[in-house]
Amino acid sequence: MDLDKDNANPTILNPSDLPSRRQESIGRRRNEGGTGLFDGLIPQYNYLNDPFEQSALSSDSEDEVSEIIDEQEVYDLISSISDPEHPLSLGSLAVVNLPDIHIQPPISPFSSISTVLVEITPTITHCSLATVIGLGVRVRLEQALPPRFRVDVRIKKGTHSTDEAVNKQLGDKERVAAALENGTLMGVIRKMLSTCE
Amino acid sequence: MSDIQQYLLDYDRNKNEASATAQKSATRLSDGSLKLLTLIQELGEYLNSEDGATRSKTMAFLAEVLSLTPPKVLTLQQRNLLCEFLLSRTEDGEGLGSCAKALIALEERGKWDAGNVQKIIETLLANTTPLRQYKQQSERYPVLRLADTLMAKYRDALRSLHESNPDFLSRFIAYFDGEKDPRNLMVVFSILKVPMTEWSIGADAQDLFEAVFNYFPITFRPPPDDPYGITAQDLKDRLRECISSSSEFAPYAFPALLDKLDSTHMNTKRDVLQTITSAAAEYGPRTMSLYSITLWDTLKFEILNVQEEDLAEEALSGLATIAKTLSRGTDGPLNAYLRPIIKECNEHLEDAPTKQSQAAARILHKIATVSPNVINTLLAGVLPRLFTLYQAAETMAKRRGLLEVFVQFITADVEVYGDWRTPGTAGEQSASNALIQFREQALGILLSGLETAPVSGVSFRLVCLDGLLQLSKVRGLLTDEDIGKIIQLLHNIVIHEQSFGKDETKEAAVNGLVEVAYQKPQVVIEKAFPAFMAQLPDTDANGPKEYLTVLEAFAKLANEEKVFDTVMLRLKNKFSSAVSQNASSAYIVALLSAMLYALSKGVSKLEQSPQSSSYYQDIALPLLKRTSSTDSSHPEAFDNETTLDLVGRICNMVIKSQAADNQQAIAEQLYVLFRDEPQSKLPPFDLTAPSASNKTMIVSTHLLASLRRETRLPCEIELLISSLANYTQQPNLSPPIRSASLRQLSLIINKFYTASELKTCLDRLIGAPFGLFEPEKLDPFRIRIIFACLKGILLRSSPVLANLYPSLLSFLSHPKYGTMVAHGFSTLLQPDDLLTKENHCQISGLHKQKSFALLVPEITQSFRQANPETKSNYLIALSGVLKWMPFDIVMEEVDKLVLLLLQSLDLKGEDLVKEAAVATLTSTLSEKPHVIEEHVGSLITRLLTNSIASSESCEPPRVRAAALRCLTLVPDKLKLEVVLPYRRQVCRKLTPALDDRKRDVRTAAVKCRARWLEVDEVDDDDE
Repeated sequence: MDLDKDNANPTILNPSDLPSRRQESIGRRRNEGGTGLFDGLIPQYNYLNDPFEQSALSSDSEDEVSEIIDEQEVYDLISSISDPEHPLSLGSLAVVNLPDIHIQPPISPFSSISTVLVEITPTITHCSLATVIGLGVRVRLEQALPPRFRVDVRIKKGTHSTDEAVNKQLGDKERVAAALENGTLMGVIRKMLSTCE
Repeated sequence: MSDIQQYLLDYDRNKNEASATAQKSATRLSDGSLKLLTLIQELGEYLNSEDGATRSKTMAFLAEVLSLTPPKVLTLQQRNLLCEFLLSRTEDGEGLGSCAKALIALEERGKWDAGNVQKIIETLLANTTPLRQYKQQSERYPVLRLADTLMAKYRDALRSLHESNPDFLSRFIAYFDGEKDPRNLMVVFSILKVPMTEWSIGADAQDLFEAVFNYFPITFRPPPDDPYGITAQDLKDRLRECISSSSEFAPYAFPALLDKLDSTHMNTKRDVLQTITSAAAEYGPRTMSLYSITLWDTLKFEILNVQEEDLAEEALSGLATIAKTLSRGTDGPLNAYLRPIIKECNEHLEDAPTKQSQAAARILHKIATVSPNVINTLLAGVLPRLFTLYQAAETMAKRRGLLEVFVQFITADVEVYGDWRTPGTAGEQSASNALIQFREQALGILLSGLETAPVSGVSFRLVCLDGLLQLSKVRGLLTDEDIGKIIQLLHNIVIHEQSFGKDETKEAAVNGLVEVAYQKPQVVIEKAFPAFMAQLPDTDANGPKEYLTVLEAFAKLANEEKVFDTVMLRLKNKFSSAVSQNASSAYIVALLSAMLYALSKGVSKLEQSPQSSSYYQDIALPLLKRTSSTDSSHPEAFDNETTLDLVGRICNMVIKSQAADNQQAIAEQLYVLFRDEPQSKLPPFDLTAPSASNKTMIVSTHLLASLRRETRLPCEIELLISSLANYTQQPNLSPPIRSASLRQLSLIINKFYTASELKTCLDRLIGAPFGLFEPEKLDPFRIRIIFACLKGILLRSSPVLANLYPSLLSFLSHPKYGTMVAHGFSTLLQPDDLLTKENHCQISGLHKQKSFALLVPEITQSFRQANPETKSNYLIALSGVLKWMPFDIVMEEVDKLVLLLLQSLDLKGEDLVKEAAVATLTSTLSEKPHVIEEHVGSLITRLLTNSIASSESCEPPRVRAAALRCLTLVPDKLKLEVVLPYRRQVCRKLTPALDDRKRDVRTAAVKCRARWLEVDEVDDDDE
C-alpha cells in the first residue's frame, strides 16, 4: 500500500533545525553568560522563603507583560499537524515554514482585524493531497486563533502544478464549508490534527 | 456392596466420595486384603455392560485406583498383565481417556521395556486413529499426555520403531491431525518437536511441517474464565519452536512464511517476522545460505517503508540473525548475503537525507553489530562510497544525512570491538578492526565538519560531534593525541564559541567532554583542564561575566567520577586565589555554586568513605573559618545571606556522610565556629550580641542539619530550644536569619529528642510563662514558632500531634491572626530541603496519612459551623494541607471535599489556594471522576471564570492555565451525555482565552477548545 503514496521517500528535517521559540527565561539569563546550571542547586521550596509572605510573592509583576501572537506561535500551532501520508509532522517535512507565515496587523486603527497568511509547500509538485493539507491548516487555525484573525491559506507560488486551482478552492468559503460537511474528509483532517500539541 | 458399585453410585453425585471409594480399594490392594485378580473380576460385569457410560466410569475407577496405589505394590508381572488388559480396552470407544490415565499411572509405578512401549503406541495408532474422533477434549488430553510421556522417557524405543517402520511417522503425524483445543495443542506441539529435532525425517518432512504450520498464525484468544491459563503467546512460542526446529523445513517454511508476510494483519506479520528470526537462528549456515538473499529482498521493505515501528525492529533482527548464522559458516555465503545489502544501502546514500537513507543507516547498524567479520565487510563496502559522496555533496543537509549513517556505523563498531574501558562482543581483537583503515579520513572529516561549519548548522554539527565522540570511544582506535584534538575542539566550543539558538552544540560539547572523561580521564585533565582554568580569572575586577559559562561547564565535568577529585581541587584553589585577590561577590558566589554543584554530583563518592575527612579539612573547615572571622580572610561576599547559605550547603554536603565521632568535633563548634568567644556570648544564646554575628546562624543551621542523631549538641537541649524560641522573636532579625533559626527548632525537635521526651518537650513552651498556644499572646512570631515545632514533630508521626493539632485548628477562627495561621498550613507538609533522611532526620513513612487524618475531617467539620468571616480561613488551610498530599491519600475522602474545593475557586486574591484547589480537582477528575459528575455544572462555570482574564478580576496566568488544563480533562473523564450539554457554552466562552495576554494560557486554551470541539463527534469509525 506504500506504493500508492504520492511521495514515498520525502526529505526530512532534523528537529534541531526547526524554528522554535527561544525560552524567554533562558534568553534573559544568557545576558549574564550562564545557562542556569546552578539555579537548581537551591530547591524552589527552601527554608529561606518566609511562607507567611507568599501571597505577596505570587502576584508577579511580569504577569502584566503581554506576549502578542506572532508568526512563531502560528507556526507552532500548525507545524505539529501530521501529514496525511506519512507519520511525520508538516514542520519536519517543510510543508509549513516559518518564513512563509505572515501576520498583517489591522489596516486602520479602528479595525481590530488582523490577517494570517500561511503559504504551504507541498513535498512534490503534483501532490494530490495539497488541498487536504491546506484545509487541515485552515481548520486548525480557525479553531485555535481568536476571531479577530482572518485566516488565509495558500499553496506557495510555483511549488505545485495546479497551485492556482487549489488556492481557489481553499479561498472559497462556501466550498470550504461544503468540504467540511464531508464525513470522510473530516475524518482525515481529524486524524491529521490529532497530533497537534 | 462392592467398591465398584459404590463408586458407580457416587460418580455423578459426589466426586469426592467416589474418589474415597477408589482410595479404599487402593489401600486394600496394598495391604493384601484385596487381590488384583478379584478387583478385575468385580469390574468384569460392568466392563461388559451394554451402557457405554457405565463402561467408561468403570475404566475411570480402575484408573483412579491405580493412580492411588502406592509404588511397589504391583509386581512386574501384574503390571505387564494390566498393560495388556488396558491395551485391549482401547478397542472400546468408551473410556479411552481413563484408559490412558491408567496407563500413565502404571508407567509411574515401573518402567516399561522398549517392546512394551512400541506395542502401546502401535495399539493406540491402530485402535484410535484419528484422535479427533473423540469429541471431548478432556478425553483426548490423557492420551496426548501418555504419548508425550512416551516421547519424553522412551525416545530410543520410539526412534527405533520409526527406523524399522518406514510408514510409522506418517501414521504418527496423522494421528494428531485436526486437534483444536489449545491445551491439547500445547502437548501435540511438544510431542512432534521430538521427531522434528531428533529423527531423520526425510520424506515426511513436509507432512511433519504442515502438521504444525496449519495452525499458523495462531489467532486464539483465551476465554475469560479459562481454567488452564493457556495464552496465545504460549501457543505461538511453542509453534515457533517447532517450525524452527529442523532445517529440513526450510523449503516449505520460508515460502509459506513470506507468503503470509503480505497479510494486512499486523499481528500475523509480527508472528511471521518472529518466526523467520528464530528459524534463521536455528537452521544453520548451509540452509540459510540458500534463502538469505530472498529473505533480504522481502524483509528490507519492512524497514524502508515502516508500517509499524516494532515490525521494522523485528525485520532488522531477522536480517541480523541471518548474518549471524551465516558468519558461523564459510565466507562465501556470508559475502553473497552482504553484497546486495551493501549495494542497496549505497544506493540509498546517494540522495540522503531521506527516509530511506535513515532506513539504510538502521540496517547497516543492526547487521554490523553481529560480528567482527560482518562489520569489517560492511565498512569496506560502504565507507569508501560514503566518503566520496560526502566530498561531492553540495548541501550541508546531504552531508549530515551521510554522516548520520556513518555515526551508526561507529556505534556498531563500539559494540563489537568495545570501548576503552570494556571490551566488546568480539573480545580483545581491536587490531583487526577495519575502521582503522578509515581512521585518518574519518577523523579529518568529522573534525573539520565540526570546526568549519557555521554555528547555525546545529544539526550538522551535532552529528559531527556525536561522530567524534563515538570515534574517541572505540577501543584501541585513536591515539591519545588524536583524542586530545577532539577534546580541544570540544572545549573550544564550550569556552570560545558564540552563543546560538538553544545552545544545543555547547551543551552537547560539555556532555561529550564528560563522556570522554569516562573513557580517558587523564587526557581530559591534561588537555581540557588547563584551557578551562585559563579562562577563569583570579579576580574579575576588570572582566565581563564570561567566566560563568566556563565555570558551569567545568563543574559539569565533576559528573565523571574519575576526574571529580581534580575538579574539586582546581575549584578550591581558584576560590582561594579569588578571595585573596578581592574578587567581586558575584564571582565568589559563582565559584561557590560551582563547588556545590560538583559536590552534589560526587556525593556518592563522599558517602563511600565516611572516615576520610580530606574534604572536610580542605574545603569545609577553611570555609567555616572564613565565615566567622573578621579579618582579611573573610570576604565581603560572606556578609551576604545567600552566599552564607551556599557555604552552609557545601559544608553540609561534606559533613553529613562523616562518621559520628568525626562529627562530634564539628558539633562542639556549632555556634562558636572556631571563634575565640565563648558560646554564651553568641547568638542564639545572647540576644545582645552584635547584629553582624547573627548571620552565622545560617551556616549553623546547615551544620546542625548535617549532624547524625548520635552526636551531642553543644549545650542542654532545653536551653537551646528556649534560647532559639526567644531569639527568633526579635523584631530586627532579617527574614532569612529568622527562617534559618526557626528551621533549627524543627531540626532539633526532629532529631535530638527521644520518643518519650518528645511527649513533654513542648511543655515548657506551651505552659507558663511562655504560653505558646494562648490565643491572647498570638502574634506573627509565635505563629512561626508553632509551625516550626509542628514541622519537626509531624515528620515523626508522634502521638502528641493529637493534642497539638486541635489547638492549632482552633486558631483558624482567631479574629486577627486566623488568616495568617491558615496560610501556615501549607508549610506543614511542604517538601523541605533540610528535614530529609539524608540529613539523618526521622521521617515516618506514614506521616502524611497521619496529618491528613487528624486535620482534614476536622477542617471540613469546622467549616460548616464557622461564621462567614472566617470560613475562607478553613478553605485556605484545607488547600494548604491538600497541596502536598499525594492524591491516593486524598482519594478516600475526596467526595466530602469537592464542595469546599469548588468554593475555594470563588475566593478573591487567594491565588495559591485556587491553584491547589484546581490541582486537587484535576487529580479527582482523573482518578475518581464519578465524584465530580453531579457537580459538573458548577465545576465548568467556575473553571471558565478562573480561566478568562477580565477587567474586574484577574487571576494570575498560572491559575488561568491550570483551570484550562483541568477543563480539558473534563470531557476525557466524564461520560459523553454528562458533558455534551455544556459543549456550546464552553466553546463560546473559551474564545476570549484564545486571545489571552500570555502565551502559555493561550496554548492551554487552544488544547482545551480543541478537545471540547471534538465532544459531539461521535467516533463511529472506532476500530
